[in-house]
Amino acid sequence: MKSLDRLLKGQQGVIAYLTGGRKFLSRITAMGFTPDVMVSVVRNGGRGPIIASLRDTEVALGRGEAAKIMIKGDSCE
Amino acid sequence: MNNPVLNKPITIALAGQPNTGKSTVFNRLTGAKQHVGNWPGKTVEQKSGLFTYNNNKHHVVDLPGTYSLTSNSLEEQIARDFIVNEKPDVVVVMADASQLERTLYLLTEIRLLSVPVVVALNMIDIAEEQGKTIDSVKLESQLGIRVVPMAAAKGRGIDLLLEAVENAAAGGVCTSTEQSVAGNPYYKSIRSIISGKFDGVCSEQWMTVKLIEGDSKAVETVKNTLSAADWKSLKELLDKIENGQLITAGARYSWINDVLSSVVNREGESTAKRRGVKFDRAATHPVVGKMIALLIMVLSFAMAMIIVMPIMGLVQSVIPGLVELVRETFSGSSLWFGSLLADGLIPGLFVAFMMLCYVFGVYIVFGLLEDIGYLSRMAYVFDSSMSKIGLHGKSVMPLLMSFGCNIAGVTGTRVIDSWQQRMVTLVLVSIVPCMALWAVVSFMGTIFFAAAMPLVVLSLLLVMVLHISLTSAVLRKFVVKGETTGLIMELPPYHKPNWRTIWGHVWVQVKAFLKRAFTLIAALSIIVWALSYQQDGNMGNSILASIGRFFDPISSFLGLDWRLFIALLAAIIAKEASLSVIAVLYGLGAGAVSITSLLIPGSGGFEEAALIGTIAQSVSPASALAFIFAFFFSIPCLGTVATIHSETKSLKWTIGASLYYTVTSLVLGGLAYRVGLLIF
Repeated sequence: MKSLDRLLKGQQGVIAYLTGGRKFLSRITAMGFTPDVMVSVVRNGGRGPIIASLRDTEVALGRGEAAKIMIKGDSCE
Repeated sequence: MNNPVLNKPITIALAGQPNTGKSTVFNRLTGAKQHVGNWPGKTVEQKSGLFTYNNNKHHVVDLPGTYSLTSNSLEEQIARDFIVNEKPDVVVVMADASQLERTLYLLTEIRLLSVPVVVALNMIDIAEEQGKTIDSVKLESQLGIRVVPMAAAKGRGIDLLLEAVENAAAGGVCTSTEQSVAGNPYYKSIRSIISGKFDGVCSEQWMTVKLIEGDSKAVETVKNTLSAADWKSLKELLDKIENGQLITAGARYSWINDVLSSVVNREGESTAKRRGVKFDRAATHPVVGKMIALLIMVLSFAMAMIIVMPIMGLVQSVIPGLVELVRETFSGSSLWFGSLLADGLIPGLFVAFMMLCYVFGVYIVFGLLEDIGYLSRMAYVFDSSMSKIGLHGKSVMPLLMSFGCNIAGVTGTRVIDSWQQRMVTLVLVSIVPCMALWAVVSFMGTIFFAAAMPLVVLSLLLVMVLHISLTSAVLRKFVVKGETTGLIMELPPYHKPNWRTIWGHVWVQVKAFLKRAFTLIAALSIIVWALSYQQDGNMGNSILASIGRFFDPISSFLGLDWRLFIALLAAIIAKEASLSVIAVLYGLGAGAVSITSLLIPGSGGFEEAALIGTIAQSVSPASALAFIFAFFFSIPCLGTVATIHSETKSLKWTIGASLYYTVTSLVLGGLAYRVGLLIF
């Protein structure tokens, strides 16, 4: 298992769980990030925010935010 | 359709996630009949409008665009309170057919409230373009809610929506009892405890779900409603729930997926059919993306100026004639009154008009960039740079707008969703030099520093960056303390520009500016006119000159004499005016009877060569450097100060920020003077 910020560009996986406070969770879930959904990384430059794609939507996430999203799945075992 | 019950206006609440085309629908429905204000007691914009359909009056209220309806953000709270407390006759929930799964999320919350709902399934044309087919009839039967397929940008589906709204208003609530969260093991027991207590818009099922979610406001309401014993047993249940938010959100999405499984056909879909895929690859690239952003900014400002210049030129050419005409009309006994108009009011209004042109140009350009979906990409590529001064990528937009016009920069801070970040950015935008300021800086600069001018500009920009970083740090440390939430931002799909929506936004801003700045600037120019009015044109004898001399101790700290100090003061009304003020105060202008008459370009009646000669003789390079720095960082023009007030609704912030700019500009001017003395 890896956090979302560790996935490279083009990799994808399924969200295992999310950590973080109430405000963060309510914002991130409303954007579509919930357990069991497939998410792929569109851009990850190693520093600065990443772009993730899920549920037909592209979302820019700060590295700290992406680190709170845990991913399971083939491309990151 | 002429149902007598419907003769009172029908109230429609327009709800939807950001970027679902909500404002397009709002503009289509209301046309020009809009009212823009703030939500009572809040700094969030409220738009409402009236229209007539089928002889019935309709009142539309545009709710803030939100992704969900929790009690965690101001916007969500406002949207939720409006539906619950104002009980609109119909809630129209916008959804984007091309991103249906996520945009239906808001509906999963609203449908639990006891209020008639209509779904506006917008951008159906874009979904088709991407190769998705959506069976809206099936969606309607699955949801049990009227679904209206629309392409609002093209005006398609508006009539159907209106018909659906009328039917829903007449038909009353038909919330389906099926719940997305009902499968939760605690659902039944929680609901039975609060049973019979909630029968308003805030229904029992809504409350139950919000309790499972752990929504602080719902918990508080229920606590105040229940008996102590009931609350105790409910609390025990609630304490057992772990990850309430994740569970409810997950349940909502799986319900959406169930509904959509037979509704959306993705057979013809491919990402290549999405708009702007190639451009997006470059636009979000860490290096290329920044270059594209800067190029787009420069081109945009150039475009804005091309739009606005002819209008400015036209007005500028008419004004001298108008002023002459007014003077002649009052040349008899009421000479002073003619001067009040010709030298005070008209120049003041002229300046306000010029500001309006800048504001207008910047709004059009940024409105366009936002509408096509580009602005969020810019925020993305600049996020790392902005985080160095403790801000989000979104703050880059108002800061860049500010290079065009500080007024636009201040209103531009509205895009920032955290209050803390917004206030910091709002103070920072006025440190950025606006376009009008450069004319004076380059005039003074080339007289004294000729070849070294690029160095001066570079040092100005370096000091600006330092100033912005320090101010941001100070504000975040001492003034607007609080946790910083990181970046979570949707990158909406690219769209063709919708001029109607853009124009709607621009018009609203222009009207607001007219209201607030015109009166203020007109009033202030009359005051300044009165303070500086001298019939013989010798302004050295005016009250304003005495005020300038009174501040001698401060001006000498910057190495400035009272004349340059007055020029700094004049910059408060309009940056451009300082130059003619200098000319007249140095005795070069012909026939100016008051400072304000100099607000009209070319009115000082001085020859540039003569001005250059005089200034070069009587001002030392160190003083000139001090003037340039103090001028560059001085308090923004009055239009901006008025806008800070209307955006913050706080006198404390307005005065505090103004004082801050004044003090820092004098200090920086003083420092520049000392440095200048060492160099020259």
